[in-house]
Amino acid sequence: MAENTANETERMVVTRVFDAPRELVWKAWTDPKYVMQWWGPKGFTAPYCEMDFRVGGKLLCCMKAPDGQEFWNAVEYHEIVPYEKIVSLMYFSDSKGNKIDPAQLGIEHESVDGAYDVTLFEDLGNGQTKLTFIGNEPMESAKNSGQLEGWNQILDKIAAVVEALAK
Amino acid sequence: MIERLSQGPVSVRGLTEPFAVSQQMISKHIACLVRARIVIKTKRGRESICRLRPEAIKTVSDWAISYRQFWEESFDKLDVVVKQMKKEESRDGRKHGE
Repeated sequence: MAENTANETERMVVTRVFDAPRELVWKAWTDPKYVMQWWGPKGFTAPYCEMDFRVGGKLLCCMKAPDGQEFWNAVEYHEIVPYEKIVSLMYFSDSKGNKIDPAQLGIEHESVDGAYDVTLFEDLGNGQTKLTFIGNEPMESAKNSGQLEGWNQILDKIAAVVEALAK
Repeated sequence: MIERLSQGPVSVRGLTEPFAVSQQMISKHIACLVRARIVIKTKRGRESICRLRPEAIKTVSDWAISYRQFWEESFDKLDVVVKQMKKEESRDGRKHGE
């Protein structure tokens, strides 16, 4: 069936630089009060959001399409490194947070079973924050994907030191 | 199955044939799609004919690029939220931490 044909893991990466400090972006991402304001595609609203933000906890969010149709999303949190990284698993659910087949809703979901989403928060050092969302990561690479950020920060620090030395 | 239906009405038997599962399983799946108002099932003689609801076709195509679009557009909105938060924070006099 159509929803089972995506057997090859396709990663999806979305990045964005926000003109705000990392603490603020983190807060917008982890406080349901703010999540309700941005969750879902253009034209969608999120009339309900319940969040238990801890490893093993869950986010349950309802989004309403422009035509009034409601979809429920659940997100399980698998790893949380404050202000740096979140490894999560998102799926379509019923209003109680129980997983349902997206095909039931008429949705061809690109997500792959057992593949995780990784959200990285990177302090760019100039009051800006780079947010990277990596979808459909196999768990093994999800565990390691924060490392790149660590390296970037180290390189940035080295660059700053080098610059100071050069003066 | 949706792909098959998108080419036009198909009988339940016709829907079962391409898949290596029982007609009972397919019927269950069709029942879900009918309940979700994606598929319309009508009787023609002894056969049940399924077809997609035109509105459902639109929903499916709208969601075809869903995952990336979901996040791209959520990020657009997040940008607005973050800007608003920043404004409020500077108005309240820079308070950090929770």
